[in-house]
Amino acid sequence: MSTGTAEKLKTIFLVEDNKADVRLVEEALKCSSIPNQVLSVRNGIDAIAFLRQEGEFMDAPHPDLILLDLNLPKKDGREVLAEIKADPQLRRIPVVILTTSKNEEDICHSYDLHVNCYITKSRNLSQLFQIVKGIEEFWLSTVTLPN
Amino acid sequence: MSEKLQLTEIEFPLWDEESIQLINRIQPHGVLLVLEEPDLKILQASTNTFSVFGIAAEELVSRSLEDILDFYQVERIKLGLTENNFDLLNPMKIWLRVKGDEYIVFDGIFHRDRDKQLILELEPALTQENIPFLSFYHLARASINRLAKTSKLQDCGQAIVQEVRKVTGFDRVILYKFEDDGHGVVIAEEKLDSMEAYLGLHFPESDIPKAARKLFCSNWIRTIPDTHAKPVELFPPINPNNIRPLNLTHATLRSASACHLKYLQNMEVGASLTVSLIKEDKLWGLIACHHRSPKYVSYELRKACEFLGQMIFAEISATEETEDYDYNLHIASVRSQLLEYMSQAENWIEGLFTREPNLLELVDARGAAVYFNSEWITIGQVPKQENLNVIVQWLKHQLQDEEAFYTNTLPLVFPEAEIYQSIASGLLAIPIADKSYILWFRPEVIQTTNWGGNPHEAFEVSQENDSVHLSPRQSFQLWQETVRGKSLPWKQVEIKAAIALRKATVELVLRQAEALSQLASDLERSNAELKKFAYVASHDLQEPLNQVANYVQLLEMRYQEQLDEDAKEFISYAVSGVSLMQTLIDDVLAYSKVDRQNVEFQPVDLEVALKRALGGLQGRISETGATISYDALPTVLADNTQMLQLFQNLIGNAIKFRSDKPPVIHIGVSPLEDAWLLSVKDNGIGIDPQFSDRIFVIFQRLHTRDEYSGTGMGLAICKKIVDCHRGDIWVASELGQGATFYFTIPAGGKKYEYRHGRKTQNHFPSGRQ
Repeated sequence: MSTGTAEKLKTIFLVEDNKADVRLVEEALKCSSIPNQVLSVRNGIDAIAFLRQEGEFMDAPHPDLILLDLNLPKKDGREVLAEIKADPQLRRIPVVILTTSKNEEDICHSYDLHVNCYITKSRNLSQLFQIVKGIEEFWLSTVTLPN
Repeated sequence: MSEKLQLTEIEFPLWDEESIQLINRIQPHGVLLVLEEPDLKILQASTNTFSVFGIAAEELVSRSLEDILDFYQVERIKLGLTENNFDLLNPMKIWLRVKGDEYIVFDGIFHRDRDKQLILELEPALTQENIPFLSFYHLARASINRLAKTSKLQDCGQAIVQEVRKVTGFDRVILYKFEDDGHGVVIAEEKLDSMEAYLGLHFPESDIPKAARKLFCSNWIRTIPDTHAKPVELFPPINPNNIRPLNLTHATLRSASACHLKYLQNMEVGASLTVSLIKEDKLWGLIACHHRSPKYVSYELRKACEFLGQMIFAEISATEETEDYDYNLHIASVRSQLLEYMSQAENWIEGLFTREPNLLELVDARGAAVYFNSEWITIGQVPKQENLNVIVQWLKHQLQDEEAFYTNTLPLVFPEAEIYQSIASGLLAIPIADKSYILWFRPEVIQTTNWGGNPHEAFEVSQENDSVHLSPRQSFQLWQETVRGKSLPWKQVEIKAAIALRKATVELVLRQAEALSQLASDLERSNAELKKFAYVASHDLQEPLNQVANYVQLLEMRYQEQLDEDAKEFISYAVSGVSLMQTLIDDVLAYSKVDRQNVEFQPVDLEVALKRALGGLQGRISETGATISYDALPTVLADNTQMLQLFQNLIGNAIKFRSDKPPVIHIGVSPLEDAWLLSVKDNGIGIDPQFSDRIFVIFQRLHTRDEYSGTGMGLAICKKIVDCHRGDIWVASELGQGATFYFTIPAGGKKYEYRHGRKTQNHFPSGRQ
């Protein structure tokens, strides 16, 4: 976890309905070199409320990275993505779609909605760990984002 | 000097309606007076009054009727006029004193003209010809009894002319019937033996032109006692009260037109009597009586003839209707049977052809053809198919929005039909759907029409004293005309039956189309649901599967130190089971995606598709040392991705099922008539021919997974791809002899591709890596 350096703790916001998958991402991020905290919600409505700091999420931090699944209860990932990218307060936060879907339509649609990148989850655990690590490194340290 | 002209080129100045109705002259055998009501002052008189009863017309005018008739008669007239029923008043016997005790007896006939002017016509009464009412009744009764015994039109007609001739004593009495096209036929005749027969002769329409026929409709009886008599004028010529020429349409004395008189004279007729036969407000025909010498028929006798004509004609109509009625019944029963057959048959068209009665009987045709879905089905004698196609093209313009088209002279309206007029001079056609028709044909009937004189020279123009006169032909001798390219006419009831069939057919076709589109949309819906299901199922199935795989692997990773060999083996079984399940789901998903609706047809260069497929297989090709060659491949209309997948699966199989030698694979092509035949030939282990169908079925495998991995979906997907392109796929192989998979792809725009293929082949000979 935190190593106590001057580096700011990065907040990764995970929108994923499956508890097991949430845990898997958390596990993958545990051994990360970048100090981070993973906060997660399990449906699209909560995701928007969290990002807008509404209701029970009043004190929610502003995330540095959003990992978004496509198939979510109540409001699905496509709608969440569209709302984030239409909101001037939120649209600069990098959004990564992390899903099992390889459907061409889903991919195209997501990029049309200005997703920052679309990643299909690997079925192989070590590959999945690699991917999550890669996302984290790339988006939280390689790229330069606006302050 | 006289010249003969074609009828159609002549205008008929004397025959037009106005001139016939406005002839302001009367026949000289009677006297006409125009009276002013109520005091019966004489306004106009015919100029023959002096010769008939010794008072000049000029003297009569402005005098009252009372001045020439006795008081008693005038009172009776005035009383009669107040009744306002001329049928009761007419005829009134009128005695006119010439001198002393000498009286002339007249039949006085009153009527009012169009301008309400009272007209009194005086015809000499010939008492000796009067028929007492009772004997007239017996005559009519006898005639009707005779008629009751016969039901044929011919016999009825004969009875009429016999009775009329018996009563009137005319030299010749004929029954003349108007045909649909306006010309007339003599259907019954009774005459002096010495006279020339007119029976069976046809007379051109111009002999009794439209205006004359209209007159016959309003004046049911017309008499001309002397065709040579000189007509007399009225004095004064114009009615002084309304300053208009007198309208003599309903006057019995009205003079016939000069042209008609000439016509009668040319026929050597000295006197004529004509009775109109009206059926349903239309002039059905005439009873025409001709006498060689002048002959006067009294008013009563004329009325008797009219009555007789109507009585007997009622019988004729009934006979005609019975004949029609029987035929109508027959047609109605054929129609209802056809409708039943149509609805019973799997294909409605079969119902019209395969059973009795069939389509032909509905309209009494000799040939019939149905054009539906661009196919012809015919029965009986019909023109050749290429001719039928031309007829249909032509019909489209003839029909416009009409329900039916019919002609009994097809070659006349459609000259191309001359070559097959012997079987199709008559055509009856109904449209049943867009570009779909039912046609009926009738053969040519070479008819010989016997005309009373040459109908093409029905009039002559003669020039006398610098003025041109139109006169009817001189000769009424038999003139034969042979008519070709004509069939028996279609009866109204037949045309109606065809239209009724059309309605039923249109409904049926519509219903079937609806049922089909219902089926199609049901299928589409269930297909769409199935595809959605396949997608959702595979996606939703994958998630829990991934979860199992991931956590089993996490377990292995985290607790590697604590696990023994058994535990690790168990974990590896669990992981490979899940992995197979994942592959199966992927393949099912891939299979469900291959669908004709998803096919994006576009020109696909198969060579490019093949190269891309080989690119995907590169690893396995180099692993196994496979040699791959191919012919120059054509461009086809197909789905690019699916072609790629097809090659990839087939070549992948060829590598997978290799023998102990390195794989040698050749992709070949050859043109078929309307498709390309492609082949993928290998030197692998081959397939036992008994399994050559089974291998294309979903999940069918010939080997265990230990021997060869795979889900058994590859060839099923290949077959589905080829099916979607409307091609075929099969395998030719012997166990141990290698296998050749063949598939066909229809050549859209074949010529272009064929040339293209050849050309390419010249440039790049086959056998290239």
